[in-house]
This record gives sequence, C-alpha cells and structure tokens, in this order.
Amino acid sequence: MEYLDALKIKSTQINNMIEEKLIKDKELIIQNPHSMHNIATGLAIDGKVTIKGSTGFYTGGFLEGASVIVEGNAGWYAGDNMMDGELIITKNAGCNAGTYLYGGTIVIRGSAGSRVGYGMKGGTIIVCGSAGRWAGQMTLGGKLILLGKVGKQLGESMYKGVIYIQDEEAKNNLGGNVFIDKITPTEVDELNTLFKKYDIDAKGENFVAIRPMTTGRHTYVLFNPDLTPEKARKELGKNPKKLEKGVAYE
Amino acid sequence: MSNENLKNFEPKDIQRGIWNQETVSEIEYKARYGKHRIRGCGATRYMPTFDDIMILPSQLSRMSIDTYREPCETRVVLGKRFATKPLVIETPVMIAGMSYGALSKEAKIALAKATALTGTVISNGEGGLLPEERDYSYRQSIQVLPSRFGFSKRNIEAADMLEFLVGIGAKPGLSGHLMGNKISEEIAKLRQLPTGIDLHSHPRHGDAFGADDMVVKMEQLRSLTKGEVPIFIKIAAGRVKEDVKIAVKIGVDGIIIDGAQGGTGAAPVMASNHLGIPTMPALVQAVKALEEMGLKDDVSIIVSGGIKDGADIAKALAIGANAVAIGTGAMVAMGCKVCLKCHNGVCGFGIGTQDPDYRKKLDIDEAAERVANYIRAITNEAVLLAKAAGKSRLKNLEREDLRTLTLEACAMTGIPLVGSDYVFGQRFGFGE
Ligand SMILES: Cc1cc2nc3c(=O)[nH]c(=O)nc-3n(C[C@H](O)[C@H](O)[C@H](O)COP(=O)(O)O)c2cc1C
Repeated sequence: MEYLDALKIKSTQINNMIEEKLIKDKELIIQNPHSMHNIATGLAIDGKVTIKGSTGFYTGGFLEGASVIVEGNAGWYAGDNMMDGELIITKNAGCNAGTYLYGGTIVIRGSAGSRVGYGMKGGTIIVCGSAGRWAGQMTLGGKLILLGKVGKQLGESMYKGVIYIQDEEAKNNLGGNVFIDKITPTEVDELNTLFKKYDIDAKGENFVAIRPMTTGRHTYVLFNPDLTPEKARKELGKNPKKLEKGVAYE
Repeated sequence: MSNENLKNFEPKDIQRGIWNQETVSEIEYKARYGKHRIRGCGATRYMPTFDDIMILPSQLSRMSIDTYREPCETRVVLGKRFATKPLVIETPVMIAGMSYGALSKEAKIALAKATALTGTVISNGEGGLLPEERDYSYRQSIQVLPSRFGFSKRNIEAADMLEFLVGIGAKPGLSGHLMGNKISEEIAKLRQLPTGIDLHSHPRHGDAFGADDMVVKMEQLRSLTKGEVPIFIKIAAGRVKEDVKIAVKIGVDGIIIDGAQGGTGAAPVMASNHLGIPTMPALVQAVKALEEMGLKDDVSIIVSGGIKDGADIAKALAIGANAVAIGTGAMVAMGCKVCLKCHNGVCGFGIGTQDPDYRKKLDIDEAAERVANYIRAITNEAVLLAKAAGKSRLKNLEREDLRTLTLEACAMTGIPLVGSDYVFGQRFGFGE
C-alpha cells in the first residue's frame, strides 16, 4: 500500500506522482485531497486509488484502466471522457458527471446533479440517489442507470444508448425524442449483475428503459416557438393592459 | 401602342431593392415549410473584406526585395506560449477543420495529402479522425468539439495541435448540422449516430460550462498532452476583444478567429447572414486585445473566413495574424463551385457528398495536387506582395505597410485612409 498526502501538492503535479506510486504498488491512498481539481486525469495504469475526502472538478477525466474511489463528494464533470476502468463516488457528484463517457463504469452512491451522462458514448453510469434535470442528454451510447428520482427533460434527444429508471413519475419528465419501453430479460440480467458487483440494493425487474426515437429522418422534434394565439386570446381577454404587467410572459 | 408592344416594355428584369431573387426565394421556402432554411456555404450578403485595404510598396523610403531571385521566409511557428512542442508549418496557410461527413472521405484525404505536399496543418473537423487523414497529413490538428463525435483519448494522442472549438463564423452560437442524406452507414458508425436523422449536434461543451471551468479543463488537457501540444481555442467573431482576453486567461497558446463570412457545410441562413462580425474587423480587435495585454508575441492568432488569395494573407499578417485558415478556398481548388447546396449531399464534384457514385468523381491525387498548387500559389502571392513592400520575411509585414481604401475600412481597422494620414475612429497604432 502506498500513500500520498495531497495537502501540499499542486493539481498539476499530482498525476505524475500517482503514476509513480502505482508503479511501485497496485494500491494507493490519497489523503487530504482538499477538493483538488483534475485528480487522476488520464491515469492509464492498473491499480486502485482511494481518495480519502472530496474532490474538485474533472475527477478521473479520461481515466483509462485504473479503479478510482472517492470517499466523499466529487465536483462537476467527474469521470468526463473516461475511457475505461472504474470511478466510484461514495457520496454525491456535481453536475455533468460522466459527460462524454467513452467506456468503463461510474458509480455514484449518492445523488448526481444535472446532465449526468451528457453526450456519453459508451460505458455505464449508475446513480444510486436521484439525478438532476437533463440526465442523459444527447447520449450516443452506453447505459445510464438511475435508481432514484429523476429531473426534467430526461434523455433529451438521445441518439443511441439507454437509460434505466424506476422513478414512476419520470413519464412526466421525459425529454423530446425518447420513449419509455419495457426492459428485456437480458437487460434485467445485466442490471442485476451490475447491482451485485457493486453491492447495490436494487432489482433489475423494477426498471423500465428510456430509448431514443429514431424512426424516419424528420421525426426529430426540436424546439419550435409555440405560437398559440387562441390560448393567448383567452388568457388576455380584451384587456391589453395585462400584457404590460407581463402576464403573457409568465 | 398596341398591347403586344407594351408587353415588351414591362420591367421584368428589374429588381426592387431588397425584394431580389434571394429574398423571394427565402420567403417562398418559409411560406412552404414554416421553418428556417438550412443550407451550405455560409453568408451570401456583402461584408467588408481585406480587399478594402491596399499594401504600400517600397520605393525610395524602403528597398524592395527581388521578387524572382531573393529569398523570403514563409515558415511560421504557432502556439509557443506554453506548449513545449509548438507547431511549425512551412506556409502560414492552414486547412480549416471541415468534417468528414460534410466532406467526402476522398475530399478529406485529398486535403490531407495537400498538407503533406506543402508542409502545413489540417484540422480534422467535427466527425472524428479518419485514419487516412492522420496518415497522410503533414501536421494534424484535432478539434475538441461539443459533440465529441468519434473523439477519444486516442485522438488527442494523434494531435500536433488541439483546437478547443467554441464556434464557427458561419453559425456562431449554434452547433454542427449534418442533414440526413449525408449520414451514410460509415459516417453514422464513426459518429455513433443512427442513420436517417437530421443531425443538430451538441450545443455546449458538456465538460466545460463556462470560461471559469475551461481554466481547469485547460489544465487537464495540458496534463493529457504532457504540455507538449499547442492548444488553440476556435471562436467565431463576436465580442472579439472580450473573448480573446478570456481565452488568454483560460491559458491557450493561440486563438483561431473565424469571421462571419466563414464557410460551412450546413447552417441556418439567418445564422450565416446575421450572426457575428466580419473577418477583418475581428482580426483587428483580436490583435488589439493581445496588444493591450502585452501578449501579442506569445499568443498566436490564426484567422479565417473568406481568405481567398495571397493579398488576404499578406494583409491579415500585416494586421497581426500569425497564419490564416482556408476552408472554402481549398474546396474550390478541388472543384467546388460554391453552389450553396452543400447541405443536401448532392455534389457532382464528389466533395460535399457521401453518395458512393458522386464520390467517385473526385480523383484524390489530382485534387490533392490542385489544393497544394493553390496553397503554393497564394503563399507565393503573399510573398510577392511582401517583397514588393521590402520584406525578406512574410511575417515582417506590419500595419504601417497598409492603407485603407474606404472610410468604412479605415474606421474599422484604424489604418489611415489612402491619400491621407488621417484615421477616422480609433487609431490602431498610428500616432495620436
Ligand atoms: C464544408 C465545411 C465543413 C466545415 N466543418 C467544420 C467543422 O466540422 N468544424 C469547424 O470548426 N469548422 C468547420 N467549418 C468551418 C471551417 O473550419 C472554417 O472556419 C471556414 O470554412 C473558414 O472560412 P472560409 O470557408 O471562408 O475559408 C466547415 C466549413 C466548411 C466549408
């Protein structure tokens, strides 16, 4: 077991040091991370790095191979562009966790902020708590597994990939161009295997799948200004003064 | 006169001001489809250009350099602010990032081969990196785009230069557009897209929401590239002064500024014609911003958007750019006729298409040679102008060598109007 006290180390230096330590021993404990940014960037060596405390932005960005455990919270963009390996966050993750994930697995034992899995292309993200709005926006692949409550615009404009949820209210929070589908038996098995591996208390059977709607080339529904004169007429009646008070604009 | 005769005098060839063919066509489109039009090529409206500037020749006040016999250096070093391996190219003409998707594989390979023939750099553009492009290119720039199609750590490892893309002049504030008929099986595979959709790609960098975060992102990219590779940021010209200063704070080695007349494979007409500011004033503001910060010599500027000949290069360099990037020009050299139909993938020249039959029309090696010839020729033209102005190095061209032809250009650039020493507006280094 190797140790690294991060208190007096700069984020520009720490990654080389982590690499050197991992060459000596496959297990490393980092103390006093004091919410440092860019810890374990692009780490491409096998081994296990345990960070005793919370981290800043981009924890494990471009990670490739190692297993990184954050015993605390992780800031925004945890595991961005990750290639392979594991990133486990024992508490909460900020916004945009696992953005552009390419491969590997991210497990967030607490909740995740908005846009978890933005544009992810592969790999797996598991959020044990709730996930903020726009989760899985424009994903191109991979699996996003959300155990708790989900925010608005779930899966907006997914191109490929799948989101598994068990939040019953999610149907009111779906983004555009996605639909709720049954989960297949193979998928249930996959989920259960993952839950077992990461010691997560959940059952694959309870999930439904959110999938992209990619039928036909012009079916993509993008934002369009809503021109609803009938509605406006009703709301405003014949009293244009209302407009001045901004009623029409909410 | 008889009715028959009157007919001959009807004003059928006359256009009433703004109600020209283009306006009518635009309205017809909107009336039919109820949405904005997306099309290829970029802005169609008039914008001020470098053509509004003249270069002062050497006469008695300076000696000229022999156009045909004496040497003149064209090599440039880009991105030497922090990068330990700055980019060295033999001509200050870069091939701008044009995606594999917007362009055919054949066109991409031809452009890459052209860089090898001329010793310059090509940028991969949005659709990932074609292995052939990387293999044939002299130097490879890799774009880091908000969509990250076909992007991974492997791409970063292949880079001689990184471009963190924020926007392009033809559609600043918007994202990549690739219409369904250009998303072939192969394109879909590389980008991880389903076939049969119209693509409106990711608008923002999911791993950098805002400039403060980009400072930290920059540190990450430096760590991944071991500090070797120059990192540029590509911005569309808008609030150039502010944006350049922010980019400098973020910690880039250089800035690519794409003016509003820049080309594109597909963009909403409104975006091309009405968003952003033209290339020439954008460059002026970028240079001013760097001079104000005292970093003009450290941070490189590459400027693009409507660069077509050696005069544009010479003038851009004189104003303060370190290099230019060409998009449309390189396509035209391959045979493109700027027909504005790039978006629909029906390109009889095999350039802006993914159709297997059309693609066969482009002879890769011939196209590569033509692009290389074009780059050689415009480099030569720039050299000709520089030598006539008395410079033995292209980069020695300076603002003092320029005069503006129009009041407009004068006020925009702060360079004196021809026939006077007078500057209308902010004097850009010309006395007080
Ligand atoms: C067909 C085509 C595709 C383009 N694709 C991209 C792209 O993927 N990424 C990008 O940053 N710019 C893209 N651009 C913009 C160019 O990089 C460049 O900014 C522009 O073409 C410069 O203007 P010019 O065409 O007047 O030389 C594209 C331009 C064209 C013409």
